[in-house]
Formats: sequence, C-alpha cells, structure tokens
Amino acid sequence: MATLTNWVEHLTTDVDPATDGIQVAGEIYPMVGTEGWLLLIGIIFWLAWHFATGSGEAEEQSKLAKKSPGPNAHKSNIPEW
Amino acid sequence: MTDGLDALTVIFTEFYYWITVVLMFLIHVGFCMYEVGASRYKHHQHTLMKNTMLIPLVTVTWFFFGWWIYWAFPTGPGIAPSIMTESSGLILGGGFGANDVANPMSSIMAINLNDHINGVFWAAFLLFSWTAASIVSGAIIERITTFAFGILAIAIGSVFWTIDAAWGWHFDGWMVKLLGYHDAYASGVIHAVAGGFALGVLAVLGPRIGKFSSSGEPRNIGPRNPWLVSIGLFLIYTGFWGFYAACNIPIFDLGPEYGMEGVTFYTATNIYITPTTLSGVTMNFLMSLAGGLLAGYWISKGDPFWTYSSGLAGIITASAGNDLYHPIQSMIIASIGVWVAYKMHYWVERKFKIDDAVGAVAVHGYAGVVGLVICGFVLWGYPSSGYGDAYAAINPMGMIIGAVIMFGVLGFLPGWILAKILHASGKLRIPRAVELAGLDYNIMEAAKKDEKAVSSAGR
Repeated sequence: MATLTNWVEHLTTDVDPATDGIQVAGEIYPMVGTEGWLLLIGIIFWLAWHFATGSGEAEEQSKLAKKSPGPNAHKSNIPEW
Repeated sequence: MTDGLDALTVIFTEFYYWITVVLMFLIHVGFCMYEVGASRYKHHQHTLMKNTMLIPLVTVTWFFFGWWIYWAFPTGPGIAPSIMTESSGLILGGGFGANDVANPMSSIMAINLNDHINGVFWAAFLLFSWTAASIVSGAIIERITTFAFGILAIAIGSVFWTIDAAWGWHFDGWMVKLLGYHDAYASGVIHAVAGGFALGVLAVLGPRIGKFSSSGEPRNIGPRNPWLVSIGLFLIYTGFWGFYAACNIPIFDLGPEYGMEGVTFYTATNIYITPTTLSGVTMNFLMSLAGGLLAGYWISKGDPFWTYSSGLAGIITASAGNDLYHPIQSMIIASIGVWVAYKMHYWVERKFKIDDAVGAVAVHGYAGVVGLVICGFVLWGYPSSGYGDAYAAINPMGMIIGAVIMFGVLGFLPGWILAKILHASGKLRIPRAVELAGLDYNIMEAAKKDEKAVSSAGR
C-alpha cells in the first residue's frame, strides 16, 4: 500500500537525471496507479446518491401531498421553547 | 523548486490562492443566510439544505469533469486556434492542456511534490462554481425539488459556466481572440451566465403560490428575517474580496512571457495575464460597492433588501473592467447597473410573471450584462491580451456579443431546456399540497412530538 517508506531516500532519489536538480517522484499518496479505479468508485457513489435521495424525496412528498395538511397547519407545529 | 527565489514565488502563490478559497467560503455562508432569511418559516430547513448540498455536488463533478472542460474548451472547439497547440480542436496537451492539468485520473490531481499550484487553482475555480450555482438557488426557493436543483446546480456549476470561462476567461479563449472580450472580475462569466440560467429555469418553474393575484398583480413576499438577509449580504461582500483576489495572478514576470528580450517586469495580472495592481483594484472594488449602495438606497427609497442587494449589483456591474477603470468610473458604472437592474426586475416580473424570490436575475444577470456592455465602450481600444496580433482589441460590439453569449446562449437557453426536461419528467416542482403545507412540515411535526414528549417527561 505504501507508496514510500523512507522520506530521506525518497527525497534524494533522482528519477529524472536529465533535468537540473534532484527530481523526486511527486506522487506520495497510497495506491499510486489506481487513479482510474478511484475515479470509477467516485462516479458510482455520486450517481447512486442522486438515485437514492431523489426517490426518497419523491416518496416523502407524495405521502405529504396525500395528507394535504393545508397552508396553516405548520403554525401548530412550532415548538414552545 | 531548487532555487530560493523560485520557491518563495511558488509557495507565496500557493498560499495566496489557498487564502482566497477560505475567504470565498464566506460567499456561500452568506448565500445560505440570505436565502433562509428570504424564505418563509415553513420552508427554512429545506431551503438551507438545498443550497448546502450544492457544495458536495458541484465539488465532486468539478473534480470529475468541470476542471477538465475549462482547460479543454478555449478553442470552442473549432472556432479559433490555440496559441499553444495551433489547433482549433480540444486542447488536450501542450503543457496547459486538459489532460496535462485536469485529467481526474492524473497524478497531478492529488498531492504531488512536483506541483504546488494546480490544487489551489482548482479550488479557487471551484468556489466560483459554487457561486454560480448558489445564484440560481436563491431565485427558485420554496417550490423546486432538491433533486431537480441538484441536476441544475451541476449543469451551471460544472458545465456551462466552465465552458464560458474557457471561451472568455482564459488567456487562450476564442472570445478574447475574436471578440476582444474582457471580463476581469466576471460580470459575465459568473454573474450574467448564472442570472440568465436562473431566468430560464424560472420561466418553466413558475411563481410561488400566491405571488400573483388573479388579475396578475404581483404581491410582495418580502424577506422573513431581515437580519439574516443583511448579515448574509455582508458576508457575500466579504467573500467577494476573496473572489476578486482569486481572479488575479499575484506575481508574474511579464518580460519573458511577452517575449521581451532582457526585460523583467514583475506584476500582478488578471486572468488574461495582462498587468494590473491589487492596490488599484481594491479602490475600484470599494468605489463600485459605494456606487451600488448609493444608487440602491436612492432608487428603492431606502428599502434595506434592495439597498444591500444593490451594493452587490454595483460591484458586479463594474467587475468586467475593474482591473483598468478609474475609481470614480467604477462608482458611476456601478450606479448605472443598479438602476437598470432594479427597473428590469419589476418590469420582467409584471410583464412575464417571473417570480425571482431574491432578485438574483436582476442583481447578477441584468447587472452583469450592463457591466459587459459599458466595459466595451469605456475600454474601447485597449488590448485584450499581451500575446500579440492574434487578439482583437476590446470593443463595444465584441462585448455586446459576449453578453448575449453569456446571458442567453450559455445561461438562459440551457436553464430553460433542462427545466423543460425536468418538468416533462415530473421532477421539477414540488406538489401543490406540499408547497402550501411547507417543505418542512414533516420535520416540524416530528419536532412537535419530541417536544411534547420531553416537556411531559418526569425523569
């Protein structure tokens, strides 16, 4: 999992000798190389959110619409503090 | 970074944008307070959650594709060749291409020791995206479903505003080259496009129940909590400082950039990489705020809601050219924008029965359009770029066409079409009975039961 295990070694290893100065490997996050899979997981999570919350909202509003409490019903719902 | 001066410049720039993001967060806090203050008690919590949830939705989609669109689309594609790749196709490589800096599968879109700028620049643009979506959010309160708003927020926040930014707010954008489009602090690329988008949605969504009498006369559904509204707008002003800062590059050597041999000229620049000073821009920001407030107080006869909104509209009007205007020009331009926006708001409301709950279309859309048009006249003849003859000078016709593209083509039209699709699928508007009872009815009912149980409890 770990992309690097030794900071000193990492910061002194020249990965591109053709370029002036020491060029280190920039990526230091875990599981380098899996970015495509991470993106896929992210997109699935995002789309799933829309489906789950969208259907939940529609169901809740449909129930409330059937109950039809009226424009002033909320006034009896204000808690006394 | 191996050289001390180089490191200082890079780390300063990194920290500069980081701070702009923190400041711009206040815009969103302000928008939330403002919207809740403008909504009625029975809709408060849903209003708050609607605006809040655009934060994660626009953020993740900005990571997935929004940032990529900005870097890929400056050529149109197919309208004007890139100065980097000399092709008019999508810009995918060449150093600043979409796949170089914004591919979500690239290692540069993460912590990378070889890059200190991409992430903070991505974040600064993301906060602009939140602003675009939040402008739309306020106009449509109390009757839209959260699902529909989520789709619309992603559309304006991660697609349409970023296309207009690629076209007109990028050093390689085709609108800058062919039209001489100039919009330093986003009168058009954020405000006009979001205002136009909101108007497109409102035209399909319809007014809140009770907004218009049977004879068509509009009724005032004023802000229910003026304190929240006023503090919210003060916070938006504050966050706007971060917005202005994020529209600049704080330190840049234009000598080598413009190919001037042996010349070193360090300066702050705008987004087009033409020089300005943060010092002068600060004066213009405050003078345009002042012009907006003065005009708003005058025209609305001291109405607090419109006076506060006019301060914002004033800044928005002057923003297109606030990198170059004289402060008194900024003040006058801001006043003109406020006058037009105020008059247009009530004319459109009466004529087309548009219920813009917070005046967002006026403050952002109309004021932004006016700002673009005025900028074309006041800055007529200024170079739109320092990159040579491929760029047209700033001119009135180019700015008028630019305003039409921002407000109409990338704003109103997509908003109207998407709202039509959502309406046709029955997902756009909440049921009538829910609107009458209040979106928070169930939450309040549950709170009442809890309250009763707690108050009658013996232990």
